Amino acid sequence: MASPQAQKPLELILARNLLTRLSTPAFLVDAEAAVVFYNEAAAALLGRSFEDAGRMSAEEWTAAFGPFDREGSPVEVDSLAITEAIRSGRPAHGSFSIRAASGERATVEASAFPIVASPEGSSGAMILFWPLNGNGAS
Amino acid sequence: MKLKVWGARGSVPAPGPQMNRYGGNTSCVQVTLASGEQLILDAGTGIRTLGLDLTGPRKIHILLTHLHLDHIQGLMFFPPCFRSESEITIWGPSSPESTLEHRIARYISAPLSPVEVRELPCSVAFRDTPASEWELGGATIRAEAVTHRGPTLGYRITDGDTTLAYVPDHEPALGAPLNGLETEWISGYDLARDADLLIHDCQYTDEEYPEHVGWGHSGLTDTLTFARRVAAKRLMLFHHDPLHADEFLDELCATARRRWEELGGDATELEIGIEGSELEVAPVSAMSTPESTDFRPAVQAGDLGVSTAG
Repeated sequence: MASPQAQKPLELILARNLLTRLSTPAFLVDAEAAVVFYNEAAAALLGRSFEDAGRMSAEEWTAAFGPFDREGSPVEVDSLAITEAIRSGRPAHGSFSIRAASGERATVEASAFPIVASPEGSSGAMILFWPLNGNGAS
Repeated sequence: MKLKVWGARGSVPAPGPQMNRYGGNTSCVQVTLASGEQLILDAGTGIRTLGLDLTGPRKIHILLTHLHLDHIQGLMFFPPCFRSESEITIWGPSSPESTLEHRIARYISAPLSPVEVRELPCSVAFRDTPASEWELGGATIRAEAVTHRGPTLGYRITDGDTTLAYVPDHEPALGAPLNGLETEWISGYDLARDADLLIHDCQYTDEEYPEHVGWGHSGLTDTLTFARRVAAKRLMLFHHDPLHADEFLDELCATARRRWEELGGDATELEIGIEGSELEVAPVSAMSTPESTDFRPAVQAGDLGVSTAG
């Protein structure tokens, strides 16, 4: 049987299973900062299901959904406190705007929790979005 | 590769006349490699009788999946531990909390034990399993974490062109149905993929499983689905619930074989762990299994509707 992708680390598998059950928009990124899963609440926020989107690199994510600063200017993912926190294995919290598939903007607060299961560093992170304007489709 | 099952029971030893045919000892499997060297998978109470039978080799490798009592309880009664000429290496999961030796010594120490690890006359070494493959007795061993309560490993043992996967405590369907999941998101997939024999947790019937979600074990349908998703060529149901007496396991096995056939398998490829049973594992031609489809067989009302045996 062909194996298109190597199996994910168990901690990412368990994190995905948890996020699936949450009604809070939540994303799972791997050690390369690629989005490897987001839940149905996040899909409602973005207007696009993960099944449709699939794995997205940080660059693909940025092109599709942002983020943007409060003035609406694109924000480099590398400059986000959350990104730095993921890479350094520390939690972080920040605020920015994203653009849904419909083109509408939503401002969110986001909390990132690094997933660390070995001394070699983090396997990725869980990122929870807290929409500041309803469901984000403002 | 040859195997002998010395204990197939889960959770706690379950002796008694109604358990005689399948046995009451907890997890222990002896693997004899092509080189003649032997590996012991888990040290449940079955390892005691294995140790009585093991008079030859001085070097012994014990591969522990985890440190729940039903997987280590036999260590203190393993006769080679009390032979000065024995050289025993115990492999197990690492923990940031403390060393493998220290964690096992919580059991082999007062007040639970009359002897301490340091008092054992044998030479014993404790080794965390490496993150990458390693070799023992000419076989390639791979250990990876799997979904269970607490740090728990499964093992993949490849000896020549034969592969055994041993995942006795595993709940891969926890929080995510296995039938539609991409393989990269299935716990234990890489360990069990294309194994010539998969020894896998099947503690519960489908009727029992809903009451035990999150306990770290699998129900029958999830076990069968996992085996199909990983394209295992043979499957042994393992880690029997201590409440499941012989007649209950007879029916469980019959149901499992019927469902295995419904999934496109051959009933002769499925067996159930029987204490004292011996089998030879040899390469089998690869099965053809789609990447992701609905493997869940229709649940037959009345299947395994027998009352809980005791």
